[in-house]
Amino acid sequence: MWLNIAARLFWRELRRGELWVIAFALCLAVFTVVSLTGITESVRAALSQRSSNFIAADKILRSSLPFNDEIFRSAEQLGLKTAKQMQFSTMVFAGDLMQLVSVKAVSPSYPLRGRLELKSSEQADAKTSNTVVKNQVFLEPRLLQLLNIGIGDSLELGVSRFVVGGIIAEEPDAPLSVFGNAPRVLMHVDDVAATEVVQPGSRIGYRYQFAGDGSALKTLEQQVKPLLTVHDRWQSLDRESAVGSALDRAEKFLLLAGLLGIVLAACAAAVAASQYSQRHQMAVAVIKALGTTTAMARRIYASHLAMVSLFSIITGLLLGQLASSGAQWFIEVWLGDYRPEFSSRPLWLGALTGLICATLFSARPIWRLAAVPALNVLRQRALSFQLDLWQLVTGGLAIWLLMWLFSGDWWLSSWLFVLCLAFAALLLGMAAVLVRLAKPMAAGQSSALKLALANLRRRLWPNSFQLITFSLALFLTLILYFLRSELISQWQQQVPAGAPNQFLVNINEVEKPQIIQLLTDNQLKAGDFYPMVSGRVLTVNNEKLPESEGREQNPEQSNPEQANPERQKGEQQADIADNTTAARRDTQNSGSANSGTTREGIGRELNLTWLHALPANNQIVAGKWFGAEDKAQVSVEEKLAERLALELGDTIGFSVGGQPFTATVSSFRKVDWNSLQPNFFMILSPDLMQNFPATYLTAFYLPKQQTALLNKMARSFPTISVLSVDNILKQVNDIIAQVSLALTVILVLVFAAAVLVLVAQVQATLEQREQELAILRTLGAKTVFLRKAVLAEFAALGLMAGVFATLLAEVLLAVVQMRLFQLPFSLHFNLWWIGPGLGLALICGLGWLLLRHLLQLPTPVLLRRALS
Amino acid sequence: MVKKILMSLLPKIAIQAKALRKEVQLTDARLTILQQINLTINSGETVAVVGASGSGKSTLLGILAGLDTVSSGEVYLAGQPLHQLDDDARAQLRAREVGFVFQSFLLLPSLTALENITLPAELAGIKDATARGRKLLSDVGLTERADFYPSQLSGGEQQRVAIARAFITQPAILFADEPSANLDAATGAKIEDLLFALNEQQGTTLVLVTHNPQLAQRCKRQLNMHAGELTELKPEVGDVA
Repeated sequence: MWLNIAARLFWRELRRGELWVIAFALCLAVFTVVSLTGITESVRAALSQRSSNFIAADKILRSSLPFNDEIFRSAEQLGLKTAKQMQFSTMVFAGDLMQLVSVKAVSPSYPLRGRLELKSSEQADAKTSNTVVKNQVFLEPRLLQLLNIGIGDSLELGVSRFVVGGIIAEEPDAPLSVFGNAPRVLMHVDDVAATEVVQPGSRIGYRYQFAGDGSALKTLEQQVKPLLTVHDRWQSLDRESAVGSALDRAEKFLLLAGLLGIVLAACAAAVAASQYSQRHQMAVAVIKALGTTTAMARRIYASHLAMVSLFSIITGLLLGQLASSGAQWFIEVWLGDYRPEFSSRPLWLGALTGLICATLFSARPIWRLAAVPALNVLRQRALSFQLDLWQLVTGGLAIWLLMWLFSGDWWLSSWLFVLCLAFAALLLGMAAVLVRLAKPMAAGQSSALKLALANLRRRLWPNSFQLITFSLALFLTLILYFLRSELISQWQQQVPAGAPNQFLVNINEVEKPQIIQLLTDNQLKAGDFYPMVSGRVLTVNNEKLPESEGREQNPEQSNPEQANPERQKGEQQADIADNTTAARRDTQNSGSANSGTTREGIGRELNLTWLHALPANNQIVAGKWFGAEDKAQVSVEEKLAERLALELGDTIGFSVGGQPFTATVSSFRKVDWNSLQPNFFMILSPDLMQNFPATYLTAFYLPKQQTALLNKMARSFPTISVLSVDNILKQVNDIIAQVSLALTVILVLVFAAAVLVLVAQVQATLEQREQELAILRTLGAKTVFLRKAVLAEFAALGLMAGVFATLLAEVLLAVVQMRLFQLPFSLHFNLWWIGPGLGLALICGLGWLLLRHLLQLPTPVLLRRALS
Repeated sequence: MVKKILMSLLPKIAIQAKALRKEVQLTDARLTILQQINLTINSGETVAVVGASGSGKSTLLGILAGLDTVSSGEVYLAGQPLHQLDDDARAQLRAREVGFVFQSFLLLPSLTALENITLPAELAGIKDATARGRKLLSDVGLTERADFYPSQLSGGEQQRVAIARAFITQPAILFADEPSANLDAATGAKIEDLLFALNEQQGTTLVLVTHNPQLAQRCKRQLNMHAGELTELKPEVGDVA
């Protein structure tokens, strides 16, 4: 019986439109979670797959011990593709000439990801292949010149002789390191044994490469764990690279946006449910007077909520999945080689969000609704705003729970939650003060304004609550808008148009003017020339530094440039000068741990430079940059300084080519390792290095149509290494474009959530406004007067909300910028007009849209509606 | 046997109140709204409760109809001790025995005129609710308005729907709270006629609260409420303390 009544009431309520606001809010919450989680996972998967191309596999196990076939068997049983790779340095001989080369011996399945292109000649239209062949070697083009041989000639490697099968045109995991990178020789792994190069004690890098399903890779990692020794380690994407950190920030933004979206959607659901419950108090009293028990009333209205929730959750899941699939499609079109992976996480997280929102936000008002006494039919009290403490507590807990579930980050969700609470409390206080001030302000104003201010004051609590939600909605939208713009502009600054895409290393003093001339002749501009020498840090304050223990024992870890040239491009893009990732990791990992008296050695040579001026992307954090008259000084990168426990004024003992000298630490520098610029751990004052022979490093921008110049350069200057970072720049730009688009979509979603909150809030006051308008109309108020009063009221609310939101946004932006994204703080001048302007326009516009039809109703109709 | 026959000849008691008292707790004082009310209303009687605003008329109506509870004393409705029943039991009793007509009609805005009328019948589990609803709609002269929503009806039409709704379960007792107060004199008079006609037709006990002396005059009995005390102005049967 109650089901019939519930169903009938449900359809009628749907037609009246009130349930739709709850439905929209719930749907939006589910949609936000599903789409954001889905999009984030897709972007993450796309980028990690893309970086897989740069390591030629999805996962690599690096070892300094010979291959353990059991590991390959385990992988194959799990359905994973495998490839073998050995790397070592050796000498090759061709006639009278010899050359140190970096050999990469691979199995025919190499590469598992990315593309290998081997050419049968140096001509552009030469025949290409993509697998290595037994008894043949493939060489880096410059090696042909260095050995003075051609394709088809033979060379000696170890005790074997090989035919040069062709040149390497494209190598997915090619080294980007520019120091000590001997020319590459690619060969079949089965040929290695015959060369007899591998002897006990040889420094050989072994790589197990795997590709396939993510879960199978995880299982493999677990399975082979017992087989691994200290000589083995897994390789994964480095988050410190420019791409990694751009992605990391984007993920954090998506996370933050998702959390804020949930807060907004949850607020909208709560407001809509409260409003629904308030408007139905009399209806419940009537049906109870007519004989419905509280339990039945509860069942009737709970069934409404259940139906709305079910509908919203299913719709939200479908739409969210659709958005997610759309994003996947987009990424697929963009990247071409993207393999979408299905994940159930967004779906169950979305469904759970819907359920929590429905039960903890909407169930409480509905529960209270059913408890309305039947006696109210005789009392007919005007509906009043009631603050339900229990709902505030359960709602608050629900928001926190959702944030935690969504982010999986207890700290971030708690922090953001407490912040929102504090803001709400602050806003409540400010709103109460301002609304009280409305009375003295009203004196001497026009009657429409007086009425507007009186309205604001009379509904102090509902208005304060309304003001809080308006402000929060605007505040969250503003935060996301500005953070999005900021992230995008930061990324663009990182890779500005015309940024150097070619680096020239190993330029000697004589070649310097020739290079400048060559570039000038081709209308290109050479950047600064950085002089460089390799040197070791031996002492600090005459105290000998310990060598890093164990580092030299394992070639896989000792000197990444030589033993492991094929690190990921993603992590190596900034691997110019001192930006070796391993070195950076060393300094970052051990920075704080060694900040006491214990110093840890560097265990490798550093590239030292000497400059008159501080490089643009460096920032002095302590001390001062050396002036022209300063002698024997050194500026140290801050993290390395921490590792070496340095203080300003300390003396560092260096050794360059066996010649010792000392320098006094005069400053510490913060270095932007993500910039595609040469960076150095140690910069010396120019006086120190005048007597040392140096080579130079420079960078320049080469337009795509002039790439032929690189070949000319390689022929004219065979000893100069040319390093192209074009692919990296393209990768970074692609990612920035993708992520920017994702951020824009998210912003639109959050804005929609904010608008929904505003709509729910204005709708909550409609009934009362209807009655007031009826009274005012009856008393003779003209439409123009009422329109002015309504507009003035919403304008005041919008402006106040906009100003509050702006204030709070500026504060939070500073915190988020500096703490979460590690970006420098800057004041947002645009915020100060966009915030109040948006508040004014949006709230006024929405208020007007929602109330327009009421103002246009003829008085008798308005009266009848108000009385019914 | 004789006793049974004699009992059946005696008038049946529809409502009975014994030493009824209602107090409410204010912030700093206790306010007595009704004191020592003793009242018996027999089946089929029409009773008007008159009195000034705030005298306690509506509170009495609420208690007698099982909407409100007493502070002390006993109240019987259709033989059931309301003072001993919980909220749900009182709701079930109302569904079976009671009809209401309110001053401001109180129709559910989301239901049509016909649906508003059939609602109590559906709540009481009556099978032919729609047929009964249509008949009543015709009785109150609103056949053409069956699918109209309350906001599309005039005040008088809304009250007619409310009256039809009150009679659909054929209640033993009908409570009316100022049924014509929100209407103009002519419409009010028509509504009153309709109320009394249906009451007569169904033999319902009618208890109405009103300010209107003409309306009160149409009832067999008139009780006056003054400062929480009840006196009989037009006694016929029954005793009023």
